[in-house]
Amino acid sequence: MDFIFMQLAGFGGAMVDLVVDPLTYVYLISSVFLGIAFGALPGLTATLAVTILTGFFSNKIPLDYSLIALLGAYVGAIYGGSYPSILLNIPGTAASAATAMDGYPLAKAGRGGEALGLTTTASFIGTVIGTFALLIFVWVLLLVSKNIASPEKALLALFGILLSGTLMSEDLVIKGWIAGLVGLAMAMVGLDPLLSEPRYTFGWSYLMSGFQVVPVLMGAFAVPQIIEGLRHVQAGQLTEFSDRIIPRMSAIKKYLPTIGRSGLIGTGVGALPGVGEDVAGWVSYGVGKTVSKNGKKFGKGSLEGLLSSETANNACIGGALIPLLVLGIPGSPPAAALMGAFKINNVIPGPTIDPEIILRVVAILVLASLTMFIMGLFTARIFIKILRIPQTVFLPIVMVLTTIGSFSVGGGINDLYLMLGVGFVAYFMNLLKYPIAPLVIGVILGGLFDETFRRSLLISDGDMSVFISRPGAAILVTLNVALILSQLPATKRTFKWMKGRLV
Amino acid sequence: MKLTLNKIAVAAMVVGLGTAATAQEYPYRDITTAVVWGAGGGTDTINRMIMAEMEKHLPVSINVINQTGGVAGSNGLVYVENQPDDGYTLVGLSESNVTAAVQGGWDKKFDYWYPFIVGGSPDLISVPANSPYNTLEELVDAAKAAPGTIPAAASGAGSIHHLNLLAIEQGAGATFKFVPYKGSAPGQEAAIAGEVALVVTSLAEQAALIEGGQLKPLAMLTPETAEIAGATIPSAFSVYDGLDKYLPLKQAIGFAIHNSASDDIKAKLGAAFEEAIASDTVADWASANNYDVGGQYGEEAQALFSTLESTFAYTLKDLGATTVDPMSLGITKP
Repeated sequence: MDFIFMQLAGFGGAMVDLVVDPLTYVYLISSVFLGIAFGALPGLTATLAVTILTGFFSNKIPLDYSLIALLGAYVGAIYGGSYPSILLNIPGTAASAATAMDGYPLAKAGRGGEALGLTTTASFIGTVIGTFALLIFVWVLLLVSKNIASPEKALLALFGILLSGTLMSEDLVIKGWIAGLVGLAMAMVGLDPLLSEPRYTFGWSYLMSGFQVVPVLMGAFAVPQIIEGLRHVQAGQLTEFSDRIIPRMSAIKKYLPTIGRSGLIGTGVGALPGVGEDVAGWVSYGVGKTVSKNGKKFGKGSLEGLLSSETANNACIGGALIPLLVLGIPGSPPAAALMGAFKINNVIPGPTIDPEIILRVVAILVLASLTMFIMGLFTARIFIKILRIPQTVFLPIVMVLTTIGSFSVGGGINDLYLMLGVGFVAYFMNLLKYPIAPLVIGVILGGLFDETFRRSLLISDGDMSVFISRPGAAILVTLNVALILSQLPATKRTFKWMKGRLV
Repeated sequence: MKLTLNKIAVAAMVVGLGTAATAQEYPYRDITTAVVWGAGGGTDTINRMIMAEMEKHLPVSINVINQTGGVAGSNGLVYVENQPDDGYTLVGLSESNVTAAVQGGWDKKFDYWYPFIVGGSPDLISVPANSPYNTLEELVDAAKAAPGTIPAAASGAGSIHHLNLLAIEQGAGATFKFVPYKGSAPGQEAAIAGEVALVVTSLAEQAALIEGGQLKPLAMLTPETAEIAGATIPSAFSVYDGLDKYLPLKQAIGFAIHNSASDDIKAKLGAAFEEAIASDTVADWASANNYDVGGQYGEEAQALFSTLESTFAYTLKDLGATTVDPMSLGITKP
């Protein structure tokens, strides 16, 4: 218990530091605004917002401030996605796809203002729930993680790649795994981490340092998104509304149980490696539909359904940062971009990370969600105007920004070729409905997997039993095997058959 | 004929530029320092500090940027190499860059540079807090009893810390099982997690963990002892004779200009560097962060880097981790 108080005191200190620094507000207000705008514009995602800011800020301003910008944009963008979901029936980000199910029917019924107001409140409460989970659980995990050695790290990395592949694919799970393995293979390029032997470099010295995270992120997330956005210009009909935005306390009170439940679900999904806000939204929506007394109304304009997904996707942010800060395993695609920012600043997330950074992240998240809340309630009409900007205008601008951002990280012109190459491949993967997120997670976790897997074997003199003799490793092996087996057609049939017998 | 005309034009431009440059005394515009390692790292921090001090003794400002990536920081080395040798572009570097050539990152011997050494942190050998070994002798005796089985972390293969580990192995006649890590922090974490039995990194990097009681320091790999957390860390030199044949191998962090720069530029930067190194800021910073101040520059620093270069190059060659034969670059055996 002491320790929770100690945490809260540390958080208070970090908060005061932020609040008294006037520069905080400059970064905070502009980044949250930018984030909401990015989220609100269909075709621009939270991942893209954080990635572009990583390219622009992370090596130019001190980490303390670039964190404000990145986290502010992250929180803003996840929330901003709800605008077009509700008003246009076009999800602004994948994270808000579930929001459109109930948000749009509400808007059509003339309750758009009410929907936006409640969504804003729920996003705020969700972010705060996720943030406090981060504050408490990061320490529990940090204590445990002191005992996490190479075998566990290798298995966790593999689990992250497989899990991301399983949950992020649209149709066939195997496609997600393939994308993850492609990423893993890309991570092999460069000087190998143990013996410094060049691998797959073809004598080109640029490749010796491997594929850099930021250009890969830019290529994978920005380029296909922009091409796709320009190919199919979505011109939704903006639904007008006239009711008030600022929600009534009674309504918030009524839905507090839903908000609380969705917040916890979102945080939990966020904490899973490589699974992001979109999955959090859908899972919470699904759970809400099953548990709620009014589950039948979901999809027909239910406020409960709307809040289920919108709370969860924001709560996911705090959750996603837990594995990132403790283990260096990003919990969601935007967190992968944050990881890039940490790397550029030589901060290595892990058991010996500076506790100040964690406290600062928590304080920033709380301030960012508050900023988002105030902006959402009082300047919502500005964001609705942004929805009217045609994609053909803003997407080319974003492409230019992406290019500059990618180049300015400092890797030279080759980074741009890498970005375009990855973007080209990612675009065709998108067309074939291969998910891109597992690929990026593969690139980031693949290096970790390669290094820790081989190091485990080096220490054990090639004895594979090191992966089952340690209790932590044994659990992780079981999880990995179960995950793979659960997706095999034979197992699926067996389960179906058993289910049939039971009923 | 066209070619000749072009040549004349180029020559005229060069002459023109030349006169323009001599007309104004160096330095008359801002200087840029490109650090080859990432922002927030040791080399970056040191360069930002020393440049801020040197600015006070120069009529211009110095901007610090980062040009990272490549092999052993080769991207940044190549970047500065391609800038004119007019003293307006410096490169912020460390001892780890001496392997860039033998690892195929670029094609120059290190005497291409005219280095300035700000300092470095001494290496030491530490064990986890709950380790059965309390002195260096106990650890070495255990290693002698079972050669090549005690796992030891020391950053990547061919890093300064790995070289220190090899040196203590040779000096004490023991063999450990070297386990490479990407950088010092993961190696130290592995020692705390009990994955390895000992870790060799610098005092600056271990300080917080020693003070927090997570690592137990056994011996400094320098002739001097060190004071930390109210205790004295003994020197390995007092335990094993003849260590001076292999050690100390110390970090050398600082910056450099093209060796082909004019004597006037070298003298002006040297004077500012001397003033900066003597300042209280540098002294305070060094004692607070467990660094030793260097202060060597020019030929003295070149000699130090040349020793480091040949030691690194041939160690890497023995490990089979070189892509270019050091001999072909004109690097002689240590």
